[in-house]
Amino acid sequence: MNPFQFTRANTPQAAVLAVSKESGAYFLAGGTNLIDLVKREVVIPERLVDINRLPLATIEETASGIRIGAMAKNSAVADHPLIKKHLPLLSMALNAGASAQLRNMATVGGNMMQRTRCPYFYDHSMPCNKRGPVQSGPSKGQPNGPAGCGAIGGVNRMHAIFGTSEKCIAVHPSDMCIALAALDATVNVTGPKGNRSIHFAEFHRLPGDAPQKDNTLLPGELILSVDIPKNELGKYAHYLKVRDRTSYAFALVSVGVAADMKGKTIQDIRLAMGGVAHKPWRLKEAERYLKGKEATLENFKQAATLAMQGAKGYGENDFKLTLAPNSIIEALQIATQTV
Amino acid sequence: MENENNAGEPESTGASRRAFLKQSSVLAAFALTPPAAVHAVEKGLDEKVAVAFEQQPLRVEVNGVAQQLSVEPRVTLLDLLREQLSLTGTKKGCDHGQCGACTVHVDGQRVNSCLTLALTTEGSKVTTIEGLGSVDKLHPMQEAFIKHDGFQCGYCTPGQIMSAVACINEGHANSPDEVREYMSGNICRCGAYANIVEAIMEVKSKGGRI
Amino acid sequence: MKNEKNPPLDRVDGRMKVTGGAKYFADFAIPNMTYCVIVGSTIARGTITSVDTKKAQGAPGVLGVFTHQNMPPIPGWDGPASKQADGPPPKPDTEEKYRILSSPKILFDGQPIAMVVADTFERATYAASLVKATYSKQTTRTDLEKHKKDEITPRGGDYARGDAKAFESAPVQLESEYTIPIEVHNPMELHGIIAHWTGADQLMVYAKTQGVNSTQQAMAQAFKLDPKNIHVHTEFMGGGFGMGLRTWPQETATVAIAKKVGRPVKLVMHRSQMFTMVGHRPYTAQSIQMGADKNGKLVSIHHAATAETAKYEDFTEATVNMTKFMYDCPNVSTRYRLVRLDRSVPIWMRGPGEATGAFALESAMDEMAHKLNMDPIEFRLKNYSETDPEHNRPYSSKHLKEAYERGAEAIGWKDRKNEPGKSKEDNWLAGYGMSTGVFNAFRWEASARVVLNADGSLVVQSAVTDIGPGTGTALTMIAHNVLDIPFERIKVEYGDTSLPKAPSQGGSAIVSAVGSAVFDTCTKIKNDLFELATKAGAPLAGSKAADLSIENGNVFISNDSSKKVAITELLKANNLPSIAQTADSKGSAELEKYSMYSFSVHFVKVKVNALTGAVRVTKAVSVADSGRIVSPKTAASQMIGGVTGGIGMALTEEAIIDHRYGRFVNNNFADYHVAVHADVPAIETIFIDKPDPIINPMGAKGMGEIALIGFSAAVANAVFNATGKRIRQLPITPDKVMQEA
Repeated sequence: MNPFQFTRANTPQAAVLAVSKESGAYFLAGGTNLIDLVKREVVIPERLVDINRLPLATIEETASGIRIGAMAKNSAVADHPLIKKHLPLLSMALNAGASAQLRNMATVGGNMMQRTRCPYFYDHSMPCNKRGPVQSGPSKGQPNGPAGCGAIGGVNRMHAIFGTSEKCIAVHPSDMCIALAALDATVNVTGPKGNRSIHFAEFHRLPGDAPQKDNTLLPGELILSVDIPKNELGKYAHYLKVRDRTSYAFALVSVGVAADMKGKTIQDIRLAMGGVAHKPWRLKEAERYLKGKEATLENFKQAATLAMQGAKGYGENDFKLTLAPNSIIEALQIATQTV
Repeated sequence: MENENNAGEPESTGASRRAFLKQSSVLAAFALTPPAAVHAVEKGLDEKVAVAFEQQPLRVEVNGVAQQLSVEPRVTLLDLLREQLSLTGTKKGCDHGQCGACTVHVDGQRVNSCLTLALTTEGSKVTTIEGLGSVDKLHPMQEAFIKHDGFQCGYCTPGQIMSAVACINEGHANSPDEVREYMSGNICRCGAYANIVEAIMEVKSKGGRI
Repeated sequence: MKNEKNPPLDRVDGRMKVTGGAKYFADFAIPNMTYCVIVGSTIARGTITSVDTKKAQGAPGVLGVFTHQNMPPIPGWDGPASKQADGPPPKPDTEEKYRILSSPKILFDGQPIAMVVADTFERATYAASLVKATYSKQTTRTDLEKHKKDEITPRGGDYARGDAKAFESAPVQLESEYTIPIEVHNPMELHGIIAHWTGADQLMVYAKTQGVNSTQQAMAQAFKLDPKNIHVHTEFMGGGFGMGLRTWPQETATVAIAKKVGRPVKLVMHRSQMFTMVGHRPYTAQSIQMGADKNGKLVSIHHAATAETAKYEDFTEATVNMTKFMYDCPNVSTRYRLVRLDRSVPIWMRGPGEATGAFALESAMDEMAHKLNMDPIEFRLKNYSETDPEHNRPYSSKHLKEAYERGAEAIGWKDRKNEPGKSKEDNWLAGYGMSTGVFNAFRWEASARVVLNADGSLVVQSAVTDIGPGTGTALTMIAHNVLDIPFERIKVEYGDTSLPKAPSQGGSAIVSAVGSAVFDTCTKIKNDLFELATKAGAPLAGSKAADLSIENGNVFISNDSSKKVAITELLKANNLPSIAQTADSKGSAELEKYSMYSFSVHFVKVKVNALTGAVRVTKAVSVADSGRIVSPKTAASQMIGGVTGGIGMALTEEAIIDHRYGRFVNNNFADYHVAVHADVPAIETIFIDKPDPIINPMGAKGMGEIALIGFSAAVANAVFNATGKRIRQLPITPDKVMQEA
């Protein structure tokens, strides 16, 4: 790691000030991704602002739903009685990610800020548009490796099939965010210009022409909490993660399902997919189709077909064009207990 | 220390650095032009200057012993334990949070010490394998690992044991399958998993926090 | 010597390992230690046009930056090197020569271009990141599939018996192709070395090596030193699996740099460097042609394999050997080729060659059984080789039939449906598979020293390294069985060149080799005791040694245990503080008359999700026919370890190269998937545990390799049985297994 300064922040305002006044300053939460990025010289910080002592780890019931502090650890959220009772999909998704140790370190805010696991992003000798130009540090002004997308035409088995651009086909690695996308969460942030809320669907972005930007946060903005509205989707929930080993691996495809059922009829349903796009991929078409319908294999197949509209393979990841709809069907069957 | 400042300005914990800056106005000019150490060296300044710039104080309790240390911000808890505190029981297997060999407890929680900056443990209690039990007085989990032969080469073992203890205390050891899932962050290349699960289930069956 | 089944014994080094007290090479602290970090090339073939080390040299704490421009010479590099020495022996026919940091030429991805030494690990790491190189890049060839036509024929040649055309007229024919990807040993312990010059020509090395004597020899040659001036220590090693069977160039370079820097140097490599600098299991493409008659008798087998190697060294392994003798088949031929690529050189990885070959042969056996509509075990029994058809000589021992029977019983083979895709469990498809494994049982030369102290305690010494299988525990058992000294009074010292010479730990040969040395040495001590007990004036004077036994700390007359004398008394009476003996041990010429192999049978049950392609091994049974089991407890762990490695080989492990750049894209533990806890079910291990009458006095054959060999085929066969899908390319990942909804 390059040498950098280290500061502890005691208030969110202090943290925001420290990060926004100096280019090359980063918030340090659990560090499970950031320290990895610094070790791999993808991030070359001048200062890390330790926000672990900020009083933002509360998990509480509010009038409209549940609020989770940005500094709540992934494991604390997954095991919290409120979450297990009302938002089992979130608990399942969290437990499907990383390892018990990493979940003890990683925070909810940090999880949202995870960078892609695309190998080209990490290897400076291979092309990647996502690294962007280096803004600071010892290599200031030098391009941080060649531009281009190594994954297009390269090893892209893990890559996106939705919402890609010519610049980038990387996927967002988070499991937790798939649940938050499905559950219509809102992200509360503070920044140099004050507080604001961002709907989860608007939080992460597609690569487009600026793949270096994962999300819509403005410089210096800090995540404070996440609000998840009350819903009746607790009982019929499942997070299915298909991966290359049984645990501790990133998703080839994952599917989050939360449904409200009356008998065999789907009253309401939320569906989102991971491992397929630069952001958590909400399946609104499929949701609309399933609402009010019977939980049957035929309906699930039709929903999966609708969900796959616009999907595009890049060679090695063509299998996802089959695996994704299969996984939707499997997840729906498990969630609605129709298997 | 962390409560000194309520005014919004983040506080640098670099007490020695602050003291140093007071002494030297020349160096103060560099302080805001990080990475300070590199610049210091580029200017041909004495290396001790660079060290003073880089190191910050750290108060942490390790295996019950209060430590007052001075460490660079970039030093991980893993390297601090191994290279500065001679606690080499904690192992480096990947240095990127991908294998679990470096698992220790910070305030009772299992974490990957390779991704934990040492300075973030300020005021915390760290427990390593050396603090769990000794050759003469083994921890029940250490006993169980020997009984069930939960290792071969032994390199991942300290991490497995620290993780196993936490797995039970977290309440995630209610069945062999649950143990397998919640221990999956600890890779064992010799492949002792089946025996490790037996060891954990046996300790778990005796009940209580361990 | 008792010839009974041995009791389970806790691992003798267990307490050290569970308390963090066991010291692996990187755990040793030496005053004034410095830290070395390697900078690897980012291209796989070409030339360094510039390497800028100025920033690195100026960074805080840096003591040296070594590149091809200033690397200190290694005097013995180009002398007549042995096969264990640094770098390969110069061969006239290899295209290139690789000597670390000696030329701007790049021969493989990740090749060291600089080694940076600083006073802390953090500073060395950062300084290494400041080294910048430019390259003139050449066309990169790393894809074996694309360059098969460039094959070369390594030494050894092809094998054939019988009629080469028999296949053409065989009533039932099978032709299949199989590939295994690059697999990487990835022991948990990172590779490296501590080099400490304790004098001008005195070297102390803490190494990660499977053989301290081999490292000592390599360093002696490299630095033109008398081996006795080189002390190598590896008491504990965090796994090897073959990667520690040679001294790698960066180890030698670290030693040279330590001399130049004048301080001890510690090198701990980065995990990503474990993919490029310490060998791997080579990508291998295989094909099998198999002919049988309608009754299931094999007519012919042809087994061909093409494997990758480096441009600078031909690495060969016994990929096709098993096919020559495993089954009773009149017409057999094998063919083995190499393709030299812009890759670092492979090295033996657990079950070397045979594990690769067994995947093909044992998959093909399953495919043929299916074609014949026969049970796969029945098909194997029909073609069982009672004697070795390759060498036309008997096996020293072979209880494979019993292994098939007991394994089938344990897994519940009777519940298997021969027709695939017919069983369901929890809405997943379920299937059973089995396979056979085999590996040479060796008897190498080794020596040991044993000291019996006057207090009745025993010290057993050998330079052998214990990389994990429990060598110390096995040697304790052997010494105990000869002298009946209580386990807790026996201490085994190993892993250090100050101790009697031993072969490197590999080839499943250590219990046979070093164990025999310990057996022979303990027997000498026993004879010494018998002599002391029976000499004139001694308590058992007049008795013949042949009539004596030793038990419970006493020497006694075998048929009258009341006539006895304590060992401690014997030493005391003779004023002996201890009795020490040293013995060399090697097999007799008699061994040449036999084919000596260990055998294994693997059974697995899998469940497969047809929609997601997920495969779970839900039950595994492995049976070993490896002679007398010396240490049942640690041996069982070795077996379950092989199964676990086999699950990884079958389902998850693959090092992936982007061939446009010749660089790995998953050179880390997150993306190179070794099996984790959740991948591995409870495993049943069964030992036939019948002593081999030929190989050594313990009757023990090796078992480290057979624990893995064949396992991947058992999984592939089970996946076929569950789904009807035959996967011939490892690993069997979800994308290969899933079926259209």
